[in-house]
Amino acid sequence: MFTPSVTHPIGDFVRKLVPDAMGYVTPYLPQSVLEYIPAANSVVAFLINAVICIIAVCIVAIGNAPILIYMERKVCAHVQCRLGPMRLGWHGTIQTIADVLKMLFKEVYAPKGADKFIFYLAPMVVLIAPFLVLTLIPFDKNMVIANVPVGIPFIIAVNGFGILGILLGGWSSNNKYSLLGSLRSGAQMISYEISFAMILLFVVMVSGETNLLSITQGQEGTILDWWIFKIPVLGFIAFVLFFISSTAELNRAPFDIAEAEQELTGGYHTEYNGTAFAMFYLAEYINLVTTSSLATTCFLGGFYPPLIGVEAVDSVLMMVPGFVWFFAKVYFMIWCYMMVRWTFVRPRVDQLMDFEWKFLLPVNLVLLGLGGAYIVLFG
Amino acid sequence: MINKGNLPPGFKIERSESNSEEFFINMGPQHPSTHGALRLALRMDGETIVEMVPHFGYIHRGIEKQAENMNYLQYILLSDRQDYLTAIQNNLGVCLAYEKALNIGVPERAEYIRVILQELGRVASHMVFFACFGGDLGGQTCLLYGFKEREMVHDIIEEVTGSRLTTNFFRPGGSTFDVPDTFIPRVKAFIKHMDKTMKDYERFLSKNIIVLERTKGIGILSKEDAIAYGCTGPMLRGSGVKYDVRKNDPYSIYDQFDFDVPVTYNGDTYDRYTIRIAEIHESLKILKQAVEKFPEGPWRAKEKPVRLPAGRYYSAIETAKGLYATYVVAASGDKPYRIHTRGPSFANLAPLNKMVQGQKISDLVAILATIDPVIPEIDR
Amino acid sequence: MGIVNYAPKILDPVPGGKYLVNMIDYVVNWARANSIWPLTYGTSCCAIEMMSSSMARYDIARFGSEVFRASPRQADLFIIAGTITRRMAPALQMLWEQIPGPKYAIAMGACTISGGPFVYDNYSVVRGAQNLIPVDVFIPGCPPRPEALFHGLLTLREKILHETCRSPWKEGDVRDVSTLDRYREASKAWLALERIKDEEMAEARAKFKEENPEYKSAYKPVRVKKEEFPEVERKALLGKGLENGFLSAAEIFTKTRDRFNRVVAKDMATEAIDTKSEVESADDCLENIMKYPVDFPLELTVNAEDYLDVVKFMRDDEDLKMNFLIDVTGIDYEDHFEVITQLMSMDRGHKVFIRVPLKKNFGIAEEKRANAILAQIPSITSLYPAAEFKEREVYDMFGIEFTDHPDLRRIFLDEDFTGFPLRKDFTNPHMIRRPL
Repeated sequence: MFTPSVTHPIGDFVRKLVPDAMGYVTPYLPQSVLEYIPAANSVVAFLINAVICIIAVCIVAIGNAPILIYMERKVCAHVQCRLGPMRLGWHGTIQTIADVLKMLFKEVYAPKGADKFIFYLAPMVVLIAPFLVLTLIPFDKNMVIANVPVGIPFIIAVNGFGILGILLGGWSSNNKYSLLGSLRSGAQMISYEISFAMILLFVVMVSGETNLLSITQGQEGTILDWWIFKIPVLGFIAFVLFFISSTAELNRAPFDIAEAEQELTGGYHTEYNGTAFAMFYLAEYINLVTTSSLATTCFLGGFYPPLIGVEAVDSVLMMVPGFVWFFAKVYFMIWCYMMVRWTFVRPRVDQLMDFEWKFLLPVNLVLLGLGGAYIVLFG
Repeated sequence: MINKGNLPPGFKIERSESNSEEFFINMGPQHPSTHGALRLALRMDGETIVEMVPHFGYIHRGIEKQAENMNYLQYILLSDRQDYLTAIQNNLGVCLAYEKALNIGVPERAEYIRVILQELGRVASHMVFFACFGGDLGGQTCLLYGFKEREMVHDIIEEVTGSRLTTNFFRPGGSTFDVPDTFIPRVKAFIKHMDKTMKDYERFLSKNIIVLERTKGIGILSKEDAIAYGCTGPMLRGSGVKYDVRKNDPYSIYDQFDFDVPVTYNGDTYDRYTIRIAEIHESLKILKQAVEKFPEGPWRAKEKPVRLPAGRYYSAIETAKGLYATYVVAASGDKPYRIHTRGPSFANLAPLNKMVQGQKISDLVAILATIDPVIPEIDR
Repeated sequence: MGIVNYAPKILDPVPGGKYLVNMIDYVVNWARANSIWPLTYGTSCCAIEMMSSSMARYDIARFGSEVFRASPRQADLFIIAGTITRRMAPALQMLWEQIPGPKYAIAMGACTISGGPFVYDNYSVVRGAQNLIPVDVFIPGCPPRPEALFHGLLTLREKILHETCRSPWKEGDVRDVSTLDRYREASKAWLALERIKDEEMAEARAKFKEENPEYKSAYKPVRVKKEEFPEVERKALLGKGLENGFLSAAEIFTKTRDRFNRVVAKDMATEAIDTKSEVESADDCLENIMKYPVDFPLELTVNAEDYLDVVKFMRDDEDLKMNFLIDVTGIDYEDHFEVITQLMSMDRGHKVFIRVPLKKNFGIAEEKRANAILAQIPSITSLYPAAEFKEREVYDMFGIEFTDHPDLRRIFLDEDFTGFPLRKDFTNPHMIRRPL
């Protein structure tokens, strides 16, 4: 009997349901089929499990994106002293749905001279990374799809897919602006990947785990037990560095030199239209969710409520389910990303690289060393 | 194999082995940061610009030809449409030339109306500069903040002239009509508001580390070059020449006001930005004095038919962008024989090629933003 | 081609399928009508109002249209903001072709409706965007206010809501550029129509008068009290440079005349070409100069042979120090051109305008004259880099060749443009004369 690796309640349900259902069916089956039942059981269970997981990931990813786009437009509007979408639904709440529908029904074509196959492949490649990362995130104590032991190395490995998609998309468009944008983006993301990975390694080092669920469980307790506060100063510095490098990873302003509307008229997605462009858009926002989830998991205590050590308050906080806390933290992170995006101006491409190689990376290395020293000295 | 011939028109650096990997990229006429219909042909080496050739004429509307078939007053309408950000200043430039020709003076109240509207126009134009500069550097929020204050100016201008953008307001001897009673209180309120908000805006951009990194030492225009290329306005003063038409060749009643001509000496992008911010403060200073002394009395001189006696008349004013000169050649009748406008943007754009060579494409955007060109005024 | 367009083909034959198609129509139209992303495109004044409309005060985002896309591939709406010139027309059509369907166009402002203020006597403005691409909504105004743009946007929204996938969206057929001048025909037809209307009105009026001889209009014109305005003396303000050393017009003249004895200062009303054979004496010139008001710049008439030397002298002389070139421009007279070089000294503050008369070369055959270069003058680009663009402009507009110019090309007009527009005898098939 196949046992779904997933520990969440749905996994338990599947584990229980499949043999029961088979029990109802077995009396009516011929003897020759019956000997394959255990094997069939596990295949069916596996398939049901897989379908449930895919649906769950899609709900989190695609369900969040319209909300985020709406949120982005509203945050942007209020930073800029305006109202933002107001006409469609209450305060423009269903504006994004109209946008998405419209993009789906738009004409789709590739420019003349484009490498058509790669041109249409690129947006799908971009989507791979965020979806894979989402499967590893523990949304609650028993809500994780793939509880793999090598969570963090896997994330570091998978993140490269995003760059690949952007490079392919920019190159295949047969447009110099796209090519410039994708080259910029490639250089930028590969550089920032390093410090991104370094900080994740810092978390691995201090927590002693690579499994994301274990990392989260290492932060159980009050707010001071979160990795951001548990190690004095260093944790906070690591969090800030993570924030910077992940902003660059996400290609978001102020590090959006790959799109740079004022310079490159849209960068790598200049030539994309309709659905393909929507996929780039989607990938950007799913990436936002995954990166924020990662920050929440690694620094902000994951699905644990922000307990403060006072019994009366804590008991109230404990009543809220874990995944609500998780998403509250994720949305707080996303809000931070958005505020930064609409506040800062964009650095130049060479300054961006300078910043990574001459400042961020050395600081990261020093941080790793100090973290090691801290562990040795204080356990 | 290197193709030594066949460079696109305008490029001067020869092809050779060392620059065989260069490529050409076309920026505009529809590009978010070319400020309208300007087209720049760029010769790039990776991200670095080797050479740049501007192409004009995408909004060449033949205004000068059309003016020859219009009467003098109708031409004021066309002057609005040249530099639409400082339309009210262009009106004055044309009217001053007519006044010289007709030899009519302007009563004091009309002069004060002129000065106040001029300075409001300057503030509005510089706010658009602030907006576009921030926007071109990537700070979308600046774009909206700049326009927010500009709307207040345009409210006042609309109340006075009846139009938001293309004012067509001044006439030889005064203006089309008197200002309403609410004019002075509104200007006072605006000055008060502006004093406060300018501090916020300066905090927003002037001391932002990324802005400093992006703008300091970028696009340097030396003092000699600035004069030789005929730059005027903030471009010239940013390079260390303290020339302002309002001081050095005064018109209207600018000689009666106490104001400084801000000047900076590095000639880089940041200096051109700070000059404009300082100029907003100076404009507010002039506005404060003008509002205090705003007199009662006739708001225009006795009307004369606008038929210029044969001759050549020249007037120069300082618009927000620089020296705006009108040269009218009158023969006979009520139509000009020829009207020529010397717009500041056209001359200011001339040294762009020199400034961007060796810079990155992102710097080009920042430099172009600080030149603050208005393309219809270049093309006319 | 969008998927939706296949829906009627497949579903309409199926019983009950047309209701489904109607439903699809409703949903798709709702999405399209409420999410209109404009293209960032603007050429002149209207562009500023378009920008204003997306800014904090007016906020186009309320309608979900704040997503201004810089790339045409992601836009739905083409707001044609500002005058379209013949040089811009191909670019505009290319942009329109690049927008994926369904696409819509709004012609913003008078220029894009009919040419606006640039209808008559104009050789370069396209009279109406509908000559180039199909336009959905026209917004009058010069420029229209942001509110007007919103009204246009909402009108477009209404229009989209009534579309159906049974007759698919217009792919935006680009019209032939050769039909640019349909406006001329249209204006003729319109004029004829107006004339008929006038006649009809006159008839009706006469008939009414016959029938009601006692009728008196209730309209009473309101008389505005005419204000009396005083005559005011003009005050001439004298300029000053950055340093001392301002020279008066007479001083500059004598200084130059000492060096170049053919330089003269004429009365400002006369044309530059000399009908007399001998050069005017210095005293006559000084007398002319004295007639100028003080704030008029000195105008010197210089021969084409002396031109370069005079400019060089003025630039290098320590007292004159004309280091700033204001402008180079030209005037066309019947038998000669005049190139005017406006120089100024930033340090001293004085100005000199150098008038160079250039005889037209009438050796060229009359039919070729319109498109031929008729005069030559040395370029001063080596002395003033600022002159490069300005001389190109004079070349473009008058057909005066500047010898030794580093890059003498047309600047504002296309290379294949026929004629030089600022010549007085310039004709162009696209120019419409003002009706008298």
